[in-house]
Amino acid sequence: MQISLENVTYVYGEGTPFEKEAISNLSLTIPQGAYVGIIGQTGSGKSTLIQHLNGLLKPTSGTLRMGDLEINRKTKQTREWRRRVGLVFQYPEHQLFEESVIKDVMYGPLNFDMPADMALLRAREALNIVGLPYDEFKDRSPFQLSGGQMRRVAIAGVLAMQPQVLVLDEPTAGLDPAGRKAILEAIYGIHQEQKLTTILVTHSMEEVARYADMLVVMAGGQIVMQGKPEDVFIQAERLRSLALDVPETVSLIHKLNQRLPMDQQIPLTLYREEELERHLLAMLTSGKGVRR
Amino acid sequence: MSMLTNFAIGQYVPAESYVHRLDPRSKLLFVILFAFAVFMANNPVTYGILTIFVLSGVAAARISYGYMVKGLKPVWFLLLFTVVLHLLTTKGGEVYFETGWFSIHEEGVRQAIYMTLRIGLLVLISSLLTLTTSPIDLTDGLERLLAPAKKIGVPVHEVALMLSIALRFIPTLMEETDKIIKAQTARGADFESGNMVRRAKAMLPIVIPLFVSAFRRAEELALAMEARGYRGGEGRTRLRQLKFTWRDPALAVILLVIMGLVGWLRA
Ligand SMILES: Nc1ncnc2c1ncn2[C@@H]1O[C@H](COP(=O)(O)OP(=O)(O)OP(=O)(O)O)[C@@H](O)[C@H]1O
Ligand SMILES: [Mg+2]
Repeated sequence: MQISLENVTYVYGEGTPFEKEAISNLSLTIPQGAYVGIIGQTGSGKSTLIQHLNGLLKPTSGTLRMGDLEINRKTKQTREWRRRVGLVFQYPEHQLFEESVIKDVMYGPLNFDMPADMALLRAREALNIVGLPYDEFKDRSPFQLSGGQMRRVAIAGVLAMQPQVLVLDEPTAGLDPAGRKAILEAIYGIHQEQKLTTILVTHSMEEVARYADMLVVMAGGQIVMQGKPEDVFIQAERLRSLALDVPETVSLIHKLNQRLPMDQQIPLTLYREEELERHLLAMLTSGKGVRR
Repeated sequence: MSMLTNFAIGQYVPAESYVHRLDPRSKLLFVILFAFAVFMANNPVTYGILTIFVLSGVAAARISYGYMVKGLKPVWFLLLFTVVLHLLTTKGGEVYFETGWFSIHEEGVRQAIYMTLRIGLLVLISSLLTLTTSPIDLTDGLERLLAPAKKIGVPVHEVALMLSIALRFIPTLMEETDKIIKAQTARGADFESGNMVRRAKAMLPIVIPLFVSAFRRAEELALAMEARGYRGGEGRTRLRQLKFTWRDPALAVILLVIMGLVGWLRA
């Protein structure tokens, strides 16, 4: 499902002294099957933007479109929209409430009128995807799990709804490195397997560099850069002025390129760790070592 | 969600104004005494004086009238109810309208207007207090005003602390509720359709996480306070001192003038 935003503006607390324009006049197209990374400083409007993507917030002005559906200020029905777009909130573990893990994961599918046996099947798959073996975890209380496990249950709860678009708001905040990687790899797996359009909000350049094929950089409620990751990473100065940074791989490429002769410059498209590694190994073993 | 944004109404709006900078103790006392004046008023002149005063108070606090009117929203039903009740039941004076058992009398209309004004004025003056005084100032002021009650064993400090913690966490809990409602809505929760039982059950996915987080917060707060050596009000000094300024005697004069006028001009 392609989603497009046209001149979307959202104002919190309209008509009160606390009025705050959180996003202004955003236009953006998210292609079918893309993996989009959204980055930006705290308060830049990322969470506000993604809550529009499944109709939780309706734009103060502007329009969103997905297939035959449309949302604007006056739209009443957003349920169908919600069925298609699964949204994992920041700190989703705070939304768990059922007595057992399996019931919590089945809550979403059942709400969207999925038959119970089907919902159970989906919940089981989803738990396995996020790395919580079904047999071990299904009957445990979600409140007795560790924070990271709770997070996975919450993510499974959205995956089990089998959305066509998956939106994640900082799914790895506050997790240990291994936990981060496990969750992101699981999500990347289903993104590739099911061609699931995926939108990842994060503060980590490393994460977007690894997974995203399109980047959106936000600042002060506006999109200040968007495009292929390499096109964004090349603007290192601009990113720094927005209190963001380039991934480690990119700064390594920059540093190496300053020392390498013109004909051996490393292209910025190799910002993914594995690809850079392969390229460097090839350079080293082909005998054209780095001159000092 | 729109339901929750309404709760922002009545919340402190920081600004620089005469009303904002009054000592909270003066404001609290003023509101109480002003309420007496409202109950003393009983004719167009006295109600007029009070209304004009409240309206200029709102202007002095630099708060828009539109926003104040929104503050009346929670009581509109009460207002409507009062109006209808008086129109239907209060008899006396000229008869304006009559069909069968139903009639509207002059006295009914008068009482309907007065009661509306009375409730409206009380709500407005007390929202003016909460709109212009930060919760901390408010509870500080209350604690100081009630300090004499400590002598007869009333736990004034503890009550004030509870109050200020409650006030402090209302917006936080509102935000939390908003977030949880959104999260469950994203998972297809439906809070509007179905019968009473179904709807009550639909609230569980909101209420349970909310309680869990409220208890977690309470525990964290208690721990943080103990870690920083909080041992109750005994011998505790204050970082922020309340100070009367020229503004406060000025307010006293204004109050005296209003009370005098109302007392003198009432029927
Ligand atoms: N419920 C709300 N009411 C009023 N203002 C809000 C609300 N939620 C967010 N804002 C404001 O809108 C702006 C954008 O907030 P948003 O949550 O979208 O930022 P963000 O980019 O997700 O930040 P973070 O990285 O910290 O999650 C901020 O200035 C914030 O203060
Ligand atoms: Mg956010």
